[in-house]
Amino acid sequence: MKKEKIESDASERSPASTRLHAIAAPTEPGAIGSTVRVEIDGRKVDVPQGTSILSAARGLGIRIPTLCYHEDLCIAGICRICLVEVEGHRTLEASCGYPITEPIRVHTHTRKVRQARRHVLDLLLSKHSGECYACVRNNNCELQALAKEYGVDMYRFGHPDRPLVSVDASSYSVVRDMNKCILCRRCVRTCIDLQEVGVLEAVSRGGETNIQTFKNHPLGEVICINCGQCINRCPTGALHANDPTDEIWAAIDDPTKHVVVQTAPSPRAAIGECFGLEPGHALTFELNSALRGCGFDKVFDTNFTADLTIIEEGTELLLRLHKALAQNDKSVALPQFTSCSPGWVKFLEHFYPDMMPNLSSAKSPQQMFGALIKTYYAKLNKIDPASIVTVALMPCSAKKFECNRPEMCSSGYKDVDYGLTTREMAKMISEGGIHLPDMAKSDFDDPFGTATGSGIIFGATGGVMEAALRSVIELVCGIRVEDIFANADIIPVRGFEGIRYAELKLPKVGEVPELLKDKVSDWKWLTDATLKVAICHGTANARKVLEDVKAGGRFSQCHFIEFMACPGGCLGGGGQPIPTSPEIRAARARAIYSEDKAYEVRKSHENPAIAALYKNFLTDGPCGKMSHKLLHTHYVARGKYIA
Amino acid sequence: MGMLVTEQDALRNDIVKWAAEGGNRRDCLIPLLQRLQQRHREITDFAMQVIADALEIHPVEVYGVVSFYQFLDEKPKGHFVVRLCRTISCDMQGKDRVARQLETDLGIRFGETTPDGKFTLEWAHCTGMCDQGPAMLINDTVFTHATPELVHDILQLCRKSFGSFHLQGTAEPTGIRSHSFVNDLTFRAVKSGAGLRAALKMTRGDVLKEVADSGLKGRGGAGFPTGVKWNLAAAASAPDKCIVCNADEGEPGTFKDRVILNRYPELVFEGMAIAGLAIGASHGILYLRQEYSYLRERLEGVLRGLREAKELGRDVLGQSGFNFDIEIRTGAGAYVCGEETALIESLEGQRGEPRNRPPYPVNTGYNGRPTVVNNVETLAWVPCILDKGGNWFSALGTDRSRGLKLFSVSGDCEKPGVYEFPWGITVAELMKEVGGENAKAVQVGGASGHIVPASEFARTVAFEDMPTGGSIIVFGAQRDMLSVTRNFLEFFCDESCGQCTPCREGNVKLLEGVKMLEEGRCSTAYLKELCKLGESMQVASKCGLGQSSPNAFLSMVKHFPDEIMGRTELII
Repeated sequence: MKKEKIESDASERSPASTRLHAIAAPTEPGAIGSTVRVEIDGRKVDVPQGTSILSAARGLGIRIPTLCYHEDLCIAGICRICLVEVEGHRTLEASCGYPITEPIRVHTHTRKVRQARRHVLDLLLSKHSGECYACVRNNNCELQALAKEYGVDMYRFGHPDRPLVSVDASSYSVVRDMNKCILCRRCVRTCIDLQEVGVLEAVSRGGETNIQTFKNHPLGEVICINCGQCINRCPTGALHANDPTDEIWAAIDDPTKHVVVQTAPSPRAAIGECFGLEPGHALTFELNSALRGCGFDKVFDTNFTADLTIIEEGTELLLRLHKALAQNDKSVALPQFTSCSPGWVKFLEHFYPDMMPNLSSAKSPQQMFGALIKTYYAKLNKIDPASIVTVALMPCSAKKFECNRPEMCSSGYKDVDYGLTTREMAKMISEGGIHLPDMAKSDFDDPFGTATGSGIIFGATGGVMEAALRSVIELVCGIRVEDIFANADIIPVRGFEGIRYAELKLPKVGEVPELLKDKVSDWKWLTDATLKVAICHGTANARKVLEDVKAGGRFSQCHFIEFMACPGGCLGGGGQPIPTSPEIRAARARAIYSEDKAYEVRKSHENPAIAALYKNFLTDGPCGKMSHKLLHTHYVARGKYIA
Repeated sequence: MGMLVTEQDALRNDIVKWAAEGGNRRDCLIPLLQRLQQRHREITDFAMQVIADALEIHPVEVYGVVSFYQFLDEKPKGHFVVRLCRTISCDMQGKDRVARQLETDLGIRFGETTPDGKFTLEWAHCTGMCDQGPAMLINDTVFTHATPELVHDILQLCRKSFGSFHLQGTAEPTGIRSHSFVNDLTFRAVKSGAGLRAALKMTRGDVLKEVADSGLKGRGGAGFPTGVKWNLAAAASAPDKCIVCNADEGEPGTFKDRVILNRYPELVFEGMAIAGLAIGASHGILYLRQEYSYLRERLEGVLRGLREAKELGRDVLGQSGFNFDIEIRTGAGAYVCGEETALIESLEGQRGEPRNRPPYPVNTGYNGRPTVVNNVETLAWVPCILDKGGNWFSALGTDRSRGLKLFSVSGDCEKPGVYEFPWGITVAELMKEVGGENAKAVQVGGASGHIVPASEFARTVAFEDMPTGGSIIVFGAQRDMLSVTRNFLEFFCDESCGQCTPCREGNVKLLEGVKMLEEGRCSTAYLKELCKLGESMQVASKCGLGQSSPNAFLSMVKHFPDEIMGRTELII
């Protein structure tokens, strides 16, 4: 199996004003002129041509404060907190946006620099109507931290005594409180450049400049995919998720309610960060105890329905391929697109509605679980589904929108009552008097039990594809994945490249397994077939892939493409702990893959609880009538115009 | 039977057609919006979304651009958009009374449109008529020397002209007195085409050398050596390069570029062609501020003439392989676009927000091409230099400020107008020439310049002492320096692009400080804080606008402390 990295993640959408000087990388690293000597605070270092002063300083371990700078984003150079003095320059330079192309001497904390930074902070605070006690970002706010670092003990140029604009809570997912906005434009660059969704932009100019949606329409009414990436990159509390914890506490406190929670793998790999742990520590089983401690009646593993998704979505793919290849039906929409990322789904509905037939009809694991809890589980345990409250712990802000989609009521009730982010759950746990890392480990509740490693890796980009391939290889070829990929680790689909493409020539075809016998009679039509797949994360990358599919390029020849709205996949979701960076996401990925390794069962189709479900409840099998009612959905062509 | 075409379809068809004419590229966004606004008099939500669709950008980006530029507006406008200049020179000449009469006669406030949709009343920032104020623009026509008594007549003129409003297509603005006073300019004696012909006989290197030897520095105010700029652009390797003439003259008190464009446009275009020849560019753009759009028709005519005379186009003047042509692009009302990287952003269809530098435009400019951005006057001097020789030019002026300079003089003096002097003239000499000997202070360099009190009139106007883009505003004994500063700061609060913190918030704080001083509520300690803030803004802002906007405030505090402090609150 070969893997190719297709394109870089860098967006070309950003205006030149927000791009760092592009210097052609020297062909020979050691060549003369490829590096340049810089002296920062008296320390000399050779850096590659075009390195910013900021990164050169960081390399030396010299701290320069930043606000508008973010590792994931293009350079703005506008907050002016990272100013430094360059010898011989009339003015100070923003270290984030100044590429070193000649030997310079830099001083990072002269009197001039300190005064300018302090003034920048004073000016920001003069407009920032934040009351730190009453803020969701208290203790995790970059502005607050800088105010402390620079010893701000008074409001030199005043401070708003009350909020001036109303809070926009119209979206199920993202709340905008522009009173706290400091105009760093990280959200703008996230939305326009990183995600290419284009909800937010700076509007007006001068002292009137502010961040708005199109014509300042409420966020719930504009073309927003709810990915929440803007939240993760907001330095203050100006953007946060729409928080349902009060309702959940009320349900927990209500003795007539049976409150169950499902936990997705990504929050478990990241929630420790909210309790002071370094990124990369999964607290899956400690979390189970903590949630019970908070008063949840049952704790289930979303991976169960991740495994179920693999079976349903995988079967759907095989049926599509069967129609296209064996029956030569040209109307079949291929490649099939994954559908578990609700941000991605809404992106497609807005920007590429004509490609909705390519989207798998399988619901996301969250929604499958909701539907099963209020049917299968309720019946099994003789609980009135009306009294069940289902909560989903997700790394995601779009899941809040997803569970509120009107069509997500196939159980006859609202399938998932509340989507809860990692950050919100951490708050609930703290409120419950629990220090999560200290909790004893405990297992998930039955009847869904502990799922497989395949479900776990859904959290990382490429994970759905890997899980699907593990099952497809075994179900179609009749061999063990381990025969092709050591330890069943399908490395070619892993990684953080924005777009990845891989091919797998099926070594042979085997017997049709029992589960699929009534769908297809044999696999002969797949003999010598080469499976072509692609993985992409971040909607800017999704756009590139979709344009290619539209144009009939190589991605149009794929059979299956995994799309995730968020950079890094779910582990980088809009509901995850703040901050985020490539390193943090990589650490979370490591936690997820090492969890996968530790599982006894690592393939979705080998999950015993899944077999039981098809045996006892979804008796007409994957993609059968019952599963279609509960586990599949339809999409809405939304388009990109608003009235 | 024809198809029923709804209004929306018609709008969509217009936009799709116009966008296609611009290659569906983002850099046609602003021209497209201007066309739309002219035709439909508003930029609707629907239109913005269709535009976004056509240019493959997001509607919110279109909205961001519309909201940035003063001459673009999503709200419907009246048939006649009356824009009264509020900047200092017009202010001193009585714009407040004209404003009040306009509001009274129209029955609306500034920013509003009459219920019949006939008139919209707006403020303008420096229309470049500082020597003939108060000035106002009605659509593309200028009225100068406006008085409250004339307001009625002017409005009647509009009312009688019905729908399409073109008072006169004259290049010179229509008004009571329509010509700026101009002293004896060198440009008058220069033969059109001589400089370009001389340059075509030289090697590229010699042209560059001639310009470098002349010591010519940028005439927009920053004073960057033109020869160095050209050399850098010439050295950049790229298949195509670009010459931009910065005709976004917006500094309060400046109007010399208007006079040059009006009287000697051939020199400017010739200068662009010579620059193109020198750096290897084939594409020239004149970025004309919207306030001067009445010049456009005439300038287009001049360009046609130059093309016919083979001074532009393919194989210029028979020089095979040297192709150079010029297009005119109109700004949309933003002072900051006079900053060269903001200007380029604007040309590319973005909000006019200055870029991080480096890279400099000479390496990465318009659409990524090496670009030379030169001021109108700078380019007009170029053919003179090529014709008369760099030595002629460098022999004039001072050591670090070679040659001649045009000054725009306005305010409390007998003979406001455009003057040519060699660099190094003292303020006192200048005042004598223009009849401003009794001034208590002179503003050198416009709103972003410095206030010079009478005690310092011996200082020289030159890069060694006081550099300027040419704006000289004279303040008579009766002027309140606090209200002058207030006018400047109001200008900057509006005209800041709003991206960097020091400029966006700092100017607001300084303006608040001025108001506190006016009311006698500003403590000495706080005044000191504000001065420190001003110093920080000078070094911390991203571009020249924010770096120079505190100048007026700081020099006011320095030179006129007795005038601004301890005021008693006005009791009304």
